[in-house]
Amino acid sequence: MTVALERPAIAAAKPARRRRLSLSAITPYLQSAPLALILGAFLLLPIIMIVVVSFWDYDFAAMYPDFLTTNYFDVLGSWVTWKTYLNTIKLAVIVWALTLFIGFWVAYFLAFHIRTTAMQMVLFLICTVPFLTSNIIRMISWIPVLGRNGLINSTLVQLGLVPKPIEWLLYSEFAVVLAMVHLYTLFMVTPIFNTLMRIDKSLVEAARDAGASRWQVLWNVIIPLAKPGMAIGTIFVVTLVMADFSTVQVMSGGQSASVALMMKNQMSLLQYPAAAANAVVLLVLVLLMVAGILRIVDIRKEL
Amino acid sequence: MTNTTQTKTGISRRALLKTGAAAVGLAAGSGAISGFPTIWAQSNITLRQFGTGVSNLNAIADKCKADLGITLEMTATDSDAAAQRAVTQPDSYDIADIEYWICKKVFPTGVLQPMDVSKLKYYDELVPLFKTGKLTPDSVIAQGTAPHTVGFVEAQGSKTFAKAPTNWFTMVPTIYNADTLGIRPDLVGRDITTWADIMDPAFKGKTAILNIPSIGIMDAAMIMEAMGNIKYADKGNMTKEEIDKTIDFLIKAKQGGQFRAFWKSFDESVNLMASGEVVIQSMWSPAVAAVRSKGIACRFQPLKEGYRSWGGGLGLAAHLKGAELDAAYEYINWYTSGWVGGYLNRQGYYSANMVSAKKFMSEDEWGYWIEGKPAKGEIKAPDGTVMEKAGALRDGGSFEERMGKVACWNSVMDEDRYMVKRWNEFIAA
Amino acid sequence: MSHEKRTLEFYVLAAFFTLFVLFLYGPLSAILILSFQGETGGLTFPLNGVSLHWFANLFERQAVGDFGGSFKRSLVLGVMVMIVTVAVSLLAGLAFRRKFRGATALFYLAVASLVVPSIIISLGIGVVFQQIGFRPAWYTSAFGAHLTWTLPFGVLIMFAVFNRFSPAYEEAARDLGASSWQTFAHVVLPMIAPSLIGVGLFGFTLSYDEFARTLMTSGTFNTLPLEIYGMTTNVTTPVLYALGTVTTVFSFLVILATLAAILYVGRRRARA
Repeated sequence: MTVALERPAIAAAKPARRRRLSLSAITPYLQSAPLALILGAFLLLPIIMIVVVSFWDYDFAAMYPDFLTTNYFDVLGSWVTWKTYLNTIKLAVIVWALTLFIGFWVAYFLAFHIRTTAMQMVLFLICTVPFLTSNIIRMISWIPVLGRNGLINSTLVQLGLVPKPIEWLLYSEFAVVLAMVHLYTLFMVTPIFNTLMRIDKSLVEAARDAGASRWQVLWNVIIPLAKPGMAIGTIFVVTLVMADFSTVQVMSGGQSASVALMMKNQMSLLQYPAAAANAVVLLVLVLLMVAGILRIVDIRKEL
Repeated sequence: MTNTTQTKTGISRRALLKTGAAAVGLAAGSGAISGFPTIWAQSNITLRQFGTGVSNLNAIADKCKADLGITLEMTATDSDAAAQRAVTQPDSYDIADIEYWICKKVFPTGVLQPMDVSKLKYYDELVPLFKTGKLTPDSVIAQGTAPHTVGFVEAQGSKTFAKAPTNWFTMVPTIYNADTLGIRPDLVGRDITTWADIMDPAFKGKTAILNIPSIGIMDAAMIMEAMGNIKYADKGNMTKEEIDKTIDFLIKAKQGGQFRAFWKSFDESVNLMASGEVVIQSMWSPAVAAVRSKGIACRFQPLKEGYRSWGGGLGLAAHLKGAELDAAYEYINWYTSGWVGGYLNRQGYYSANMVSAKKFMSEDEWGYWIEGKPAKGEIKAPDGTVMEKAGALRDGGSFEERMGKVACWNSVMDEDRYMVKRWNEFIAA
Repeated sequence: MSHEKRTLEFYVLAAFFTLFVLFLYGPLSAILILSFQGETGGLTFPLNGVSLHWFANLFERQAVGDFGGSFKRSLVLGVMVMIVTVAVSLLAGLAFRRKFRGATALFYLAVASLVVPSIIISLGIGVVFQQIGFRPAWYTSAFGAHLTWTLPFGVLIMFAVFNRFSPAYEEAARDLGASSWQTFAHVVLPMIAPSLIGVGLFGFTLSYDEFARTLMTSGTFNTLPLEIYGMTTNVTTPVLYALGTVTTVFSFLVILATLAAILYVGRRRARA
């Protein structure tokens, strides 16, 4: 929240210019009012509530309005938190790198190698369909594939490639990463594809006419122009992974921790102030990460 | 009765309230006019109930509609979500179907109201386990959050649990059972007799326990004690040192690769077992039945240390009053009047009122499920599929043998804050 | 570029793309196959015969839960979210074409809405409703929770659309004497219609599949994802997979319908 709120504070601090209140002057305000109202009621207010609750005291049975920092000391002072955060960040980085790699090449292929728009649309939609199936079902669909007696293992054993089933395919970090890449790659493909489609093809032609090799064109022309798309995709993927609990729980067989899972464990015993403090820490961290990304690429300008 | 049930008058609930029929409802709810639950048929009264999929069965809602005319809207959630919903959305339900251990935390938040025992028609017939903690007068009270410890409060509006039975009952027990280790007899290759066997190096990477902290810690406690690592003063209410010792032990076992997974939901446990991912794990009795119904050998193995038990109950939302409250009482009285009991018993759970349930079960069913006798004919599930063939014996024997050997109940400890902290460490390790 | 011959790069990337598609569809096909599992079969391989049993079972009453009801709720909720997302994003997109005070704040609020972990919003909305004394329900609190997820997507897409939108068309229309409403209805709207359909599709599917944000805001009744999750506490049969197959087919239909809508709009515009 901090990052997002810093700016309005600065903006509001500017001396208000006198302006004639004509209809056209207030139009943008009217037009943006619904968005502001909805986000205010369902985003800002709940987050303020969470922040408030995170300072409350609680005991076995109930919560008490208070102003305590104990919850934060508890969260930040334990090595579990640090380890879990590190683990979650590690996961986010791995998934991000994989989805970026896959997402870029898929989008690149669609945008620059498919000649007709119709074909581009069809192939893109083919990528979209699985994304429209329930996440939970997509997740559990890996289990019969990866399990000890699953498709992959039984095939490998039958072919005589391995003497006994590979254990780490399921209920492992590998499984978590695999499922996340499966679930989230589309969030990377879409924005990159979108930016690539808008690159003026004559730019590429010009570069090639000037004697640039394919790789040089890719590296010096296409990738820089695709950055906003990559940034948006990165924001999607990083935030989704940071907040995930069900994929980690199901695919690691409960063997791995994630920040949100830690929060859920606290919530399951109704320790809301502790969970709220954890939530605030997670929120600040995620917003800092996003602010970092936005500092590198101003997506608003380059959308 | 059937006739009246089918007559729909179309009077709305509000209209009913206005016309003062609520007074009649009050009389019915108090049990004064028993055998006339037909009043509800005309009222279109609806009760909203939520709970885990274990007991939120549509068959019960159907039968309730047919018998009482009360529409029961059931919503199934996982057990975590059930606890959350109970506390954070108290307006969203009329009847909460939650487990006793979480009741210890839910009830004091004031979202539920206690029940007047004098309005509970079948209170006297309820299994004494839920009133005194003893199945028979001479049985030993098990450790942990035993239902009777959170079963009563001193008065209407009170939020602290009473030490002995009072006139105010927090929840009417629905289903309960004694859990133990489930095994694949074809794959373990030896006799399993104790909780400690799950730590046998031979089963490395092929075991599982629960990943719900309040239940998993009890699994761990049973294992720890069976291995002779520790003797808890009360394993259902560990001290910080005991929690440390238990979690450290779990962390070591986890890092040693003893566990394949930690399961959280019923289906996970069934799949783990059916697919051969694990061969020995903490398990629920109906999950064992589900594995077996797929033609895979699976046994609910009684162990010498005894069982880890759990139970759930129906609680009344604090906002219920007037006609709705009466309907809720009516529903609860109906729930304990036998049909539901028989239905639940036939699923491998136990119902709270065995006396009335018996009337709704065949002699053979009663013999197999409750008395631990060999089945004379085929034992069928409520949907008609054959669960066991003639001659089958229930693992663990009779109701008394199983529920009489409960070593501990799923628990919320006084040190639960510390416990969850350490549990998160265990998962992160 | 389109006149060149296929290069090695094309074939390498085509292979990569094919692998990606296989990766996407692999586990789904496992589900597809397993949903035809025989009557005694379980959730994992091998198949115990082939049957339509689980599809039939899906449309029967389950022991627990209510697929039909929750599907209907998710559908209605998805449509509600879709309509509001399209309308609000369009308005916001128009607003952001001009400078106004608070624009930056609002933009960052929208971005924040995207990045705030879902479970936090869910918890927060749940607590707020509780404190105010409103009754949470899928059509109030969960509706709002879904909007915080779909609106940022919609707004970002509208941004992208209007950033590329040349005001020349509007100026031309105005020069010809069109009122600002006429300009909007007859010039701007037809041009951005495909994008609006895209926003609508996004809104619908994001809502239809939303889980974490609904978890603590749904009130009495479950939406479909919650129902599926709740089912796992009791259901251990391939009926879950049958549901997966049916929802995938349903998604296919939604996409086809969208495609048809875009084509239709495109053709009408071409004719006009």
